[in-house]
Amino acid sequence: MEALFQAMLGGLVHGLIYIAIAVGLTIIFGTLRLVNFAHGAFYAIGAYVGLVIAQRIGLGWAFIAAPIAVALFAVLLDRFVLRSFYDKEATSQLLVTFGIALVVEESLRLIFGATTQQYKMPLALQGSFTLGPIEYPAYRLLFAGGVIVMLALVWLFIEKTNYGLIVRAGVRDRVMVQLLGGNIRQASTIVFALGAAIAGLVGAAATPIYSIDPATGFAFLVPSFVVVVVGGLGSFWGAILGGLLIGELQSLTNLAYAPASDVVIYLCMALVLLFRPQGLLGESEVIRQS
Amino acid sequence: MLASDLRFTLLCTIGIALFPFLLHPLGGYSTLATQIAIVSIASIGFNLLLGYAGTLSYGHAMFYGGGGYIAAIIMVRTMPQHSNTWLALIGATLVTTVLAILIGALTVRLYGIYFALLTLAFAQMVYFIVEQAKDWTNGDDGMQSLPNALLPLGPWNIDLTTPLPSLALGPFGNLSELRIWYVVAGISLLLVLLFARTLTRSQFGEVLGAIRENEQRSTLIGFNAAGYRLAAFAISGALTGFAGALRALFDGSVPIDAVGIERSGSFVIYTVVGGVSTLFGPVAGTAVIMFLENVLSAKTPAWRLIEGLIFVGVIVFLPRGLSTVLKQQRDKNPRAIFVRSLRPSTEEPDPLLKPAAEGHRSGPMSIIETFKLGKLFGHFAAVRDVDFRVDPGELRAVIGPNGAGKTTFFNLLSGTIAPTTGTMNYKGRDVSRLSGTKRVHLGIAKAFQTASLYSDQTVRQNCRLAALARVQGSFRLQVFRRSTRLDEVDALAERAMSRLDLSGVADVRAGALSHGDKKRLDIAIALATQPQILLLDEPVAGMSKDEARKTEALIRKLSTEMTVLVIEHDMEMVMGISDSITVLHQGTVLATGTPADIQANPRVQEAYLGGHSEAELAH
Repeated sequence: MEALFQAMLGGLVHGLIYIAIAVGLTIIFGTLRLVNFAHGAFYAIGAYVGLVIAQRIGLGWAFIAAPIAVALFAVLLDRFVLRSFYDKEATSQLLVTFGIALVVEESLRLIFGATTQQYKMPLALQGSFTLGPIEYPAYRLLFAGGVIVMLALVWLFIEKTNYGLIVRAGVRDRVMVQLLGGNIRQASTIVFALGAAIAGLVGAAATPIYSIDPATGFAFLVPSFVVVVVGGLGSFWGAILGGLLIGELQSLTNLAYAPASDVVIYLCMALVLLFRPQGLLGESEVIRQS
Repeated sequence: MLASDLRFTLLCTIGIALFPFLLHPLGGYSTLATQIAIVSIASIGFNLLLGYAGTLSYGHAMFYGGGGYIAAIIMVRTMPQHSNTWLALIGATLVTTVLAILIGALTVRLYGIYFALLTLAFAQMVYFIVEQAKDWTNGDDGMQSLPNALLPLGPWNIDLTTPLPSLALGPFGNLSELRIWYVVAGISLLLVLLFARTLTRSQFGEVLGAIRENEQRSTLIGFNAAGYRLAAFAISGALTGFAGALRALFDGSVPIDAVGIERSGSFVIYTVVGGVSTLFGPVAGTAVIMFLENVLSAKTPAWRLIEGLIFVGVIVFLPRGLSTVLKQQRDKNPRAIFVRSLRPSTEEPDPLLKPAAEGHRSGPMSIIETFKLGKLFGHFAAVRDVDFRVDPGELRAVIGPNGAGKTTFFNLLSGTIAPTTGTMNYKGRDVSRLSGTKRVHLGIAKAFQTASLYSDQTVRQNCRLAALARVQGSFRLQVFRRSTRLDEVDALAERAMSRLDLSGVADVRAGALSHGDKKRLDIAIALATQPQILLLDEPVAGMSKDEARKTEALIRKLSTEMTVLVIEHDMEMVMGISDSITVLHQGTVLATGTPADIQANPRVQEAYLGGHSEAELAH
């Protein structure tokens, strides 16, 4: 029973990371129509920057520095590399972002070494909550709470701001949004940077929980894509549902039969793609015909 | 023709023969040369999919590693008879081909990221199976120390590890550094290159290219796009599996990484770096990157970064290698880039034999008849309960205010979308569940509201493709012959062009045509499929008055030979050429009748004038 509860809490934390990355993927797809295979790299950069800052200065500063650094990197990418790929078809976008992910991974390997690293948490944060017979590390609960608050803010951004309006409209009809005017360009840069910053922040915040290595980005990216597909590309609530589902599925399978914990999420995605290709909460059919 | 084939073969042979000796002074070695030759075969297979079918697989390791494991298992399990290399190679290729057909059948309807992720998912499942089937595969440790590869050939039993005769070549090493293995790998590569060259120039390659350039058009001239893509996937998987088997036998081992995700990624890198959609690109890319991996890795820890930078650099700065991948345009619906499963997928075993729905037996004369035909998008009924009937030879106009459901109705007739309710009969047979491709072959062709063409091909080639589909059927695995020797195809194409007054621009690229010519070419393409009924969606929209009248006259002439259905807003034309008119309003039929009837119909006037009766307006 306790093991089951632990596994479910572990699945929740994992799922929240997937959700945070998946939401970034989704809003970037909505505004830029970009399928970003480099999004895991944002997570990894955030994690490494966070690690360095946390070790040298303090964990609090890491939460500020990591998203800023990642957002800056994203703006540079947007300006100098990706710009000419937004209007191209998905396959070339996949290729170029896959290439960027490779370069980032190898740069991290050169700079920080190939070995696994982990941030040693200060004693103050090492406590744990006790709930009846179940004990759970306090930081993980804080982390989960923090991610939920952040997701709520992202939701407010999408629903209540003008930029969010562009995101929502873009998911439905990209051409129409382009016709709306000149500042779409600026809005997409902001959304791209925001999506990246979310991944970077979560990467930094997760360093006390998970050890990191240069391949971390890819390791989180692929399940996050699975989450996006299962939930429905372009759907905020789809990402949430998909993230919780995939996180728990992985964690519970790990408990039942550990070697299958990776393959089970692919099985889940394959089933969704075969029987409901638009995803669980994706829009069923597009009204516009040619 | 023959001379160019011969020259190609000769050049390839020389290149493959010299390669290991050119590698030697650069710090390469004979084992690497053999491995490069083998892996190149897999890259060529991968490129058939990415470069020619236009879809990115992120799971080709399942074929490569799968082939390797099958070959290794056959070698180990048939030990008593002593290793039979033929059996291992052929068995592995067959198994991977079957695997590719099974997985392809599930994946080829998806595009872009969805296709990439689904192939990745299947590859991860294969990895899992390999990892778990420890008794057969030795799990995570991979299979080592395979029996020596012996190749029975006539009376001989060749030990492939035998070195070639000794011959000192100065700075280029010594011939004896190579083993017979290199000859086997080199010949295999040569044969695969020849095959790939023939395939990409064949009728199969031509149709595959057409589908990649404009899938919407290709399905509506009668090509089975999913079938072609599946065949490409199967061939791609077979070549990759064969390469994997060769590599396992050559190395004498298979690591678990052979089915791993990074292996899948490596084919992407090799092919893109070398040049997608080119014949030698995958070979060149494989050689360069494998050389870097094996030689540069000893010199600098940054070699993988260099590799990544080369990859990104090629994509960003050398789009020429990628040009054919980048330039294609999918249809305008952005989501459809990814999921194209919206077209009706129910494929009846033999549509022609299916009788008309009971109680819906139509009169002897109708060519198309619909019963309560409807289409819901979410909760919005774009077309509702439409009973519609057209007699053979009729020229029927379908008119209605914007948003009346005219285009949706045409899409239902052409089979581009499946109806939510109701049925449709064509010449007395129920065709409601047939795909657009099948309906084209029954004689229903459509020209689009926005001309849907192969912009990079000439007018003649556009029409030839449609004629090819008519003459050769929706799918034909003709990977050896070109389509150029089919007189019937040429005749059909020429006739379609001349009927639309396009013979003068036959050799002009479709993308360079004027608006009016593009619209007429779209009709000519439909015509080249030899339809019995032609659906024209706003054929004169956007044309100048002169052009519109000219096109109108051409359509009038066509209508003497076939049934024509036309959606049009140009009322002068509608009233002038139609035998009868159907008015759609808010998805339903408002009225049907002769032009005079329709002009006099008060309900039609009301619909067009937005609810104001004539009397009101008169005030």
